Amino acid sequence: MKTINPRGVMPGTMLIATAVASVLLAACAAAPVKPDGAAEARNKLTQLQSDPNLASRAPVAMKEADTAVRVAEQPQADQELGAYRVYLADRKVEIARAQAETSLAEDQRATLSAQREGARLDARTREADAAHVAAANSELAAASSEQAAANSRQQATELQRQIDVLQAKPTDRGLVLTLGDVLFENGRADLKAGATGNLNRLVAFLNEYPDRNVAIEGFTDSVGSEDYNQGLSERRADSVKSYLTGQGIGATRLSASGKGKNDPVASNDSAAGRQQNRRVEVIISNPPAASR
Amino acid sequence: MGLTGVLILAAACASTPPAPTASLQAAQRAISNAEKTEAGRYAPGELGEARTKLASADTAVKEQRMTMAEQFADESRVEAELASAKTADVKARAVNEEMTRSNGTLIEEMQRNSGDKP
Repeated sequence: MKTINPRGVMPGTMLIATAVASVLLAACAAAPVKPDGAAEARNKLTQLQSDPNLASRAPVAMKEADTAVRVAEQPQADQELGAYRVYLADRKVEIARAQAETSLAEDQRATLSAQREGARLDARTREADAAHVAAANSELAAASSEQAAANSRQQATELQRQIDVLQAKPTDRGLVLTLGDVLFENGRADLKAGATGNLNRLVAFLNEYPDRNVAIEGFTDSVGSEDYNQGLSERRADSVKSYLTGQGIGATRLSASGKGKNDPVASNDSAAGRQQNRRVEVIISNPPAASR
Repeated sequence: MGLTGVLILAAACASTPPAPTASLQAAQRAISNAEKTEAGRYAPGELGEARTKLASADTAVKEQRMTMAEQFADESRVEAELASAKTADVKARAVNEEMTRSNGTLIEEMQRNSGDKP
């Protein structure tokens, strides 16, 4: 803590003093060398500068680090000064690295944000897509139920057309199809060959509507005995039934019975009336679901 | 003449420059800045080193070793600046890691959701 009083120095001796001091300093000083650690600082800086992700970042800190390393590399007789410069250079390189890495992280953050936005957008897109699919599905469902309704209307129309073709009459018991006696030879139960056109339309109808069963009932006029007429009406009904089973209609769907001269549809007093009474009625049941 | 020479020599070696006030203040500011950025938590080694260097600088001033004081002060300053830089770096990385993690969760959830109703 003692101080030297500069007034003790006489102006005239200044020159000599400087010369002596110079000599003394030169004598004391070691030969100037590159300070210890300067090479390590240079290596760290070089590594940083050759990192493609970091080299162009934190340019101010990079420049300062570069300058500090150059200063540190200067040969230096004063070891303490050299160590000081190396210390500064080393820390400045580290600062530059830290700042460059921070900058890189900030850039990466932009990418991460974009990625997050992308993920959110994807999520929203998927939701929207799902909504679209749901809407499309419900449209499809609507269309398909419309189609079903149309089909059902069309089926009803088709049924009516077929009924028209059969010339069947809708009644409480079902559709009643009357087969005239032109199908049979007089007094016989065999179906006339070539007279099966209407029966074939019935076969087609029954194939089309497999849930409908058929009751076949035979009728006669009042000519002849009751037993004869009963027998004849049964045989004619059976004859129709056999024809239908022969065409592939399941026997379980068919029942045949004879009514004899009962239930005439016309007067038996005239030939025309008796002809109407000689008949086979085919009663097509209403379908179970459609029966009201 | 001999005595004069000795005096001159002594004067040359022990001349006392003023205290490196600017460097000391700069170091103190750098340390304060580092503390504000929570360097005590994220770069405690560097911050501690900066404080030690500043204390050494103060001691050197008291001992009239002004050159040494200035060097210590400068070293303290760069060390504190390094503490701040490292703190910023650590924080930036932590934010990114958190974002990466939450992005991963988001994407995972989305894939699970879409897996539920393909």
